[in-house]
Formats: sequence, C-alpha cells, structure tokens
Amino acid sequence: MKNFEEKLNQITKPKVTYLKHQDMLANAITKAKDKSVISWWWLSIPLYLIAALLMKTIFMPKTTLSLNIHDFTSRETYSSVLFFIFLPIVFIVINFMSIRNIYFLSGSPKSISFLRTAWFNVLMIIFSILILIIYSL
Amino acid sequence: MTERDLLNRIKNNPDAFSELFKLYYKTIFGYILRRTGNFDDTADIASDTFFKAFRHINKFSYKGISVKVWLYRIATNEVNMYFRHKQKHSSVFERADFENKNLFTNFLYEDKKELEMELQKHDQFLQVLDGLKTLPIKYQEVISLRYFEGKDNKEIVEILNINEGTLKSLISRGLEKLREKCNQI
Repeated sequence: MKNFEEKLNQITKPKVTYLKHQDMLANAITKAKDKSVISWWWLSIPLYLIAALLMKTIFMPKTTLSLNIHDFTSRETYSSVLFFIFLPIVFIVINFMSIRNIYFLSGSPKSISFLRTAWFNVLMIIFSILILIIYSL
Repeated sequence: MTERDLLNRIKNNPDAFSELFKLYYKTIFGYILRRTGNFDDTADIASDTFFKAFRHINKFSYKGISVKVWLYRIATNEVNMYFRHKQKHSSVFERADFENKNLFTNFLYEDKKELEMELQKHDQFLQVLDGLKTLPIKYQEVISLRYFEGKDNKEIVEILNINEGTLKSLISRGLEKLREKCNQI
C-alpha cells in the first residue's frame, strides 16, 4: 500500500499555468448584477394621471376619485386601458422577473443584501398594484 | 490586502469580485480539471463554481474557513453533482453577456488546445484518473484532494466538512479500491 501511495504522489499531474479566457469571464460574471434595471419613468405616466385625478377630487367639490377616473375612462378609453391596466400589469411581471434575477444573485429574500438590491422593484410592484386597485374602484 | 479586506471590498463593491477571481480561478480550474480530465466540463463547472460564489459572497462569513477553502467546497459539490447526474451543466457561458463573444470563444478554444496537450503529457495520471472515476464519489474526493492537490488532513477536513477519523478511513479504503482498479487497467 505504501508503494502505491508513493506512486500516486510521484506521478506527474497536469498543471494549469495560464488561462486566456479568465479576465473576460470574470467581467461577465460581475456584470450579471446589472441585468435587472427598469426605468422608473414609465410608471410616472399613470402615477401622474392618478395624482391629477386626486387633485381634481380634492379641489372640486362633490366629486370622488372613482367618479373622476370613470369620467377619464369614458373620454379616453384606450389611453386609460393602456395606462391603468396594461402598463401596471407589465410592470408587475417585469419587476417580479427582476426580483427573481436579484434572488439569483443575492440569495435569500431574508438577507439584507437582497432587500438592499430589490427595494426599488418591490416599490414599483406596490405602486402598480395601487394603480390597478384605484382604477378598479 | 488580507482576504477579509477583499471580502469587505466585494460586499461594498461587487466589481471587486474580479480580484478574488484572479486569485483563485486557476487553482480551482486546475482542481476540477484533475478531477474530470476533460476541458469542456471543467470550464463549465469552474464558471458555475465562481458564479455561485459571486451569488453567495454576501452570505459568506468567516467561521474558521478561508475563502479558498470555501471555493474548494463549492467546486467539490459542483464536480460531485456532475459525477452523480452526468447532466449537462447549464453553463454560465450561455447566460453571461460577453463584450466580445467571438474573442471569448477564441480564448476558450486556445485554452482548450493548450490544456488538452498538457493532459496528454500525463499518461499515468490519466490511467489513475480513469480508475478513480469508477469509485464512489466519497473516495474520489478524498484521494483527489490528498494525492492530486497535495492537501493535508486539516485542509481536506475543512473542505469536505468531515471529521478526521472518517477522512482517514475513507483514504485507506479508497486507496485499497483504487489499487485494485489500477491493477486491472
């Protein structure tokens, strides 16, 4: 057995001295974190409309938010569907996918690093849901 | 800079991970190559190992083990999964964005040519490796770490997270089985 052990120690083993692909792979892996950024500005359109309708509700007596939204919907059928249904749903889906990516990179949702990375996406989802709720009132 | 400093830098700035990559990629690549004897699988497993390390680096905390041992541990698990399932790894190469994919493919191809030539220079090693690959994974791990990587008991115990008594009996039984296999070759 001793001889066999010695033989194993003595046989030459392949060595890795230089790898050309190393630096490019390192760059690609560290860049993977930047994959999930979404522009906040797209959501600002329905938010702006909601804010405008809210202002109208506050400053115009005898009107309600729901009434104002339905008034807007009857005048701007396609835009309201686009801004109040389509965009928020798309945002919810995209942000959930982004959070999945963040989970993939940062680990468990319980970890601080996850929350630090995902807070913006969570905020976007909450806003989108809020818009959907207000529209359906 | 100590490992701890580097880890703190990575936690604040993930781009600093490339420094860790430069320090240990070749070592881990070599370890995987000496376990699989195949360049393509090694490249896949090594990149997955570092991608996993990058994903979980924020969870890494010093509990008596160094980053190098931690990387060996991830690599060992990845290689074991490869041997257990013989499945095609979902390669980081497919998921990652390369600034110049063609250049990367060329570099990878050149590395492959170089290392396949290197492997061919070590006939005896390849014969032993063929025998080793037929043994259960628990023996492959310990024999590879001891005799191919030159690790001592303390390091192997840390990497595999087993106690020293278990390690000694695995090495002894593994050597016996490997000797029988090598006599058959």
